Amino acid sequence: MPYYLFRRFVGMLVVILMVLTIAFVIVRLAPGDPAALMLGPEATVEDAAELRVRLGLDRPILIQYLSFAAAAFQGDLGTSIFFNQPVTSILAARAEPTIFLSLFSLTFALLIATPIGIYAAYRRGSFADQSAISIAMLAASVPSFWTGLMFQRYLATELGWFPAAGYGEPGADFLERMRHLILPSIVLGIVNSALILRFTRASMLDILGEDYIRTARSKGMGERRVVLRHALKNAAIPIITVIGLTFALLVSGAVVTERVFNIPGMGNLVVSAVLRRDYPVIQGTLIVVATLYVVINLITDLLYLLVDKRVKY
Amino acid sequence: MRIPHPVASRFAAAFLMGASLSIPAYAEEINVAIVGEPDTFDPMMSTKDVVSIVTQHLVETLFTFDDTWAVAPLLAKDLPEISDGGKTYKIALREGITFHDGSAMDSADVVASLKRWLEVATRGKGVADKIDDVVATGPYEIEIRMNEAYSPLLSLLAFSNSAAAIYPEEILGETIDQVVGTGPYRLIEHVPDQYIQLGRFDGYVSREEASDGAAGARQQIADEIRFLPVPDPNTRVEGLLSGQYDFADSLPAESYARLETAEGAEPMLLKPFGWPIFAINHKAGLLTDLEIRKALQAALPIDDMLFAAFGDDNFFVVDGPLYPEGWAWRNDAGIENYNQNDQAKAADLLKQAGYDGTPLRILTSRQYEFHFKMAEVAKVALEAAGFKVQMDVVDWATLGQRRNDPALWDIYITHSPFLPEPALTSMYAPTSRLGWANEEKDAILTAFTTETDTAKRQELFSQLQGQVFEDVGFIKIGGFNALMGHKSGLTGVTPSPWPFFWNAKTN
Amino acid sequence: MAGTSFAGEPKFLDLLFSRRAVPVALAIFVLILTLCVFAGFIAPSDPDRMSVRSRLTPPGADFWLGADAFGRDVLSRLLYAGRVSLGIGLGVALISSVIGIAIGLSAGFFKRLDGALSRLIDAMMAFPDILLAIALVSILGGSMVNVIIALSIVYAPRIARIVRASTLVIRELPYVEAARALGSSTLSIMFNHVLRNILSPIIVQGTFIFAYAMLAEAGLSFLGVGVDPSTPTWGTMINEGRQYIDQAAFLIFIPGIAISVSVLSLQLIGDGLRDAMDPRLAKEL
Repeated sequence: MPYYLFRRFVGMLVVILMVLTIAFVIVRLAPGDPAALMLGPEATVEDAAELRVRLGLDRPILIQYLSFAAAAFQGDLGTSIFFNQPVTSILAARAEPTIFLSLFSLTFALLIATPIGIYAAYRRGSFADQSAISIAMLAASVPSFWTGLMFQRYLATELGWFPAAGYGEPGADFLERMRHLILPSIVLGIVNSALILRFTRASMLDILGEDYIRTARSKGMGERRVVLRHALKNAAIPIITVIGLTFALLVSGAVVTERVFNIPGMGNLVVSAVLRRDYPVIQGTLIVVATLYVVINLITDLLYLLVDKRVKY
Repeated sequence: MRIPHPVASRFAAAFLMGASLSIPAYAEEINVAIVGEPDTFDPMMSTKDVVSIVTQHLVETLFTFDDTWAVAPLLAKDLPEISDGGKTYKIALREGITFHDGSAMDSADVVASLKRWLEVATRGKGVADKIDDVVATGPYEIEIRMNEAYSPLLSLLAFSNSAAAIYPEEILGETIDQVVGTGPYRLIEHVPDQYIQLGRFDGYVSREEASDGAAGARQQIADEIRFLPVPDPNTRVEGLLSGQYDFADSLPAESYARLETAEGAEPMLLKPFGWPIFAINHKAGLLTDLEIRKALQAALPIDDMLFAAFGDDNFFVVDGPLYPEGWAWRNDAGIENYNQNDQAKAADLLKQAGYDGTPLRILTSRQYEFHFKMAEVAKVALEAAGFKVQMDVVDWATLGQRRNDPALWDIYITHSPFLPEPALTSMYAPTSRLGWANEEKDAILTAFTTETDTAKRQELFSQLQGQVFEDVGFIKIGGFNALMGHKSGLTGVTPSPWPFFWNAKTN
Repeated sequence: MAGTSFAGEPKFLDLLFSRRAVPVALAIFVLILTLCVFAGFIAPSDPDRMSVRSRLTPPGADFWLGADAFGRDVLSRLLYAGRVSLGIGLGVALISSVIGIAIGLSAGFFKRLDGALSRLIDAMMAFPDILLAIALVSILGGSMVNVIIALSIVYAPRIARIVRASTLVIRELPYVEAARALGSSTLSIMFNHVLRNILSPIIVQGTFIFAYAMLAEAGLSFLGVGVDPSTPTWGTMINEGRQYIDQAAFLIFIPGIAISVSVLSLQLIGDGLRDAMDPRLAKEL
């Protein structure tokens, strides 16, 4: 067991190093001269060259990589070219909306999807099951920005139920900021609920086919009790692990959703950074998000290990 | 599709009122949705409109423009005394002006700031070789000494774009991290991509004259002005309609009808705003051949391009002269070449030029949707005339870079507001990235920038305009209006390419 | 309970069609595919022909599905755009499968490569798909081919992971051991035994990637980092149409429906295939 932990941990570090390398390679190959961009449309070629030197963009690529990787392991992801601030502090400032957007949409998705998923599994093959699956699939088939635009247009602007965009006025208190996340969370939650619904249904089916459920049933235990007591308890474990897996999906969804609702989160940041050719910010976001994913999945794996003794490694 | 829903909107109104109760009743804030995040608060370093819009509240220049785009004094006491054949500008400064840090402004600050402007600002560098020295001739008086007359100088000093902003001498450096100005508002907080919060500067000393454009009194009515970067145009519209913004800049023409019928918001039209431009590469490639430039000029279906780009006759005008109706610079030289929409003629010209099918590369972006739409329509007509057309649709950043390399493009699409002084448009100069040079035009241009007499300058400008059409220096596509929007009851904001809010008041 | 009995080995097609939605989805998808492939014969006009004065004409006799902001026929554009969108989906499904199979087989067969390749797969999968795709497209530039390449790189690790896991199982099966003992080369074992056995999960996963790639293409176009916007795709059509949501909502609805219906059909088909090819998998994702 300690050896396993050690191996997993080393493996994680290797993956993170690869993440760093991939992120570096991807953004450093991008076209567009950040120096020329920063200076605005009237800038001359000489101005741009001068700025490039100042930013260290003229050094050999390998040197740039080594100094980048060394700094990254010390928690320094460089300085944003556009904002002239450390990338880590910019990301920290953008974390709140993205974290809460993800949490809310996950909660929303779980609240909708788990009960329906359990019911669908319980009544497998019934009309309700078929409809639940079809609706879930439909929800996963509509581009999320399309849903977002529709909701914004009709629920926010037209009916005024939600703020149309943004993250509250300057100095807005926490509740006010969260109010701006309700509609985006619903939009993002719809897509995720489709995945969670199918996962819940599948896990429940798995458990419902197990021997001990049959035993419980044959002992004359009521169906409702079988499903809620035994099956749900056991199905909960795989459902919890899906949370780790949906993280990447949530972030992908957040990129688009934050753009539609102009929420100043990490997703919005990275799209702007691409348009601004702000290499360090693109790199930093890719690295932080991917590292988080790796860490979250390690944690869920370990939790799984703790909870479920039957899993052998 | 519009569903009127009185109950819901009343509910929304109640909700919004509930939200605003948390703010003290005396405070007044103006929330302004702008198109993006300014990359600096130092307007010397940038020519971006969004930088000008924000920073004009923070820092001031010696001069500014009034409602008719005439130069008017701001930090200068009065317009300068110009002597020595237009080569010496004596400028008296206002006394009792304080910077946001509490220090007083005097001639040392002004001289140091102008010298920095000549060194680092794009527009400043453009005139640096004509300026011998900037000296303080008294605690509140300076002199600019030039080696040749340059009539656009005052406009340059008044412009908020690559601005000759006045800073305290102490903070000047290669970059300025904390902007300290004399403006009516000062920076309270900046959260990137979220908001820029400005608060009233209590030590501000306004001019006495009545407000007139950016000139005259700056009344500081609102306690706070918040600029909110909202890059998506549709989001700006939805936010304005739902009451989140008091003002929204640069809205799509398509939203005009909605704004007009909406309760609580109104459209504001800046008419005319500016002109879309097909900038032509004279340094390298296909269009260095005049015959082919003429073919290009002949083929363009201006009406259709503008109609597709702006959609509504309210938003554009098919108009050839480089300045719109009502401007002193307007004239008719060369405009018979405008909007020919004659693909057959273009085909003949191409044949005469011995066109070999080299693709015509149009560089454009979708940052501005109308650029792309004009290009799409132009492409169809150019192909009908026999051109091979290659569209290079890139993001605005990449366009900004690629157009600096003459090997990469034949045409790039841009636009400009109508500027008060033609010489502020760099495209006339042979040194611009277009590289448009011919002896006749260059002589006219030099005469134009050294001449100080207004009537003679107007005549020279009409010759210059003639050259734009005869030699196809660049192509003006037409005139277009800009749509902004504001909450009902907001007053004191005049339509401008760089709207300002020190006189703005909400109801 | 209905449908839970797995006794016996029902016929493939029976299984495929056991869910009523599957044949319907298959029919719809084939119809969409046919219409788009034969767009040249079916489309009422040239998709690029403009008549600026009839811009934003609602659906009617002149333009069956209306006209866009340039006065181009939406139906014709929809069909031609469908070719590109479906082409991107199919291209990504095929290329990511090929890359994924190559990586997955190598990792599964060669112990020495397995460590590095598995870590690479893990690292690639740690990037959220849209995020990675944005970064890749912004390097490569927005053309149809580049979007296909970028999305293939994004989705290949998913195939690779499945292939590697299956390979590890299959290579230890008695009959593979036997083949090896009989002197079959590694390459022949790879292709004759392993690949043939893992084909069904790859096809199923490929169907889903087809669907995801179409959604991702639309998302990239929305963010302004997708296919060159003068190329009609369903994604670029929605993105163009959103400006006219007030005057001409059909411009955003029509391509939106086209994408959603195609993606939905693909997902239903993928589900059906999974059930039919391997009933045990039916319970999993």
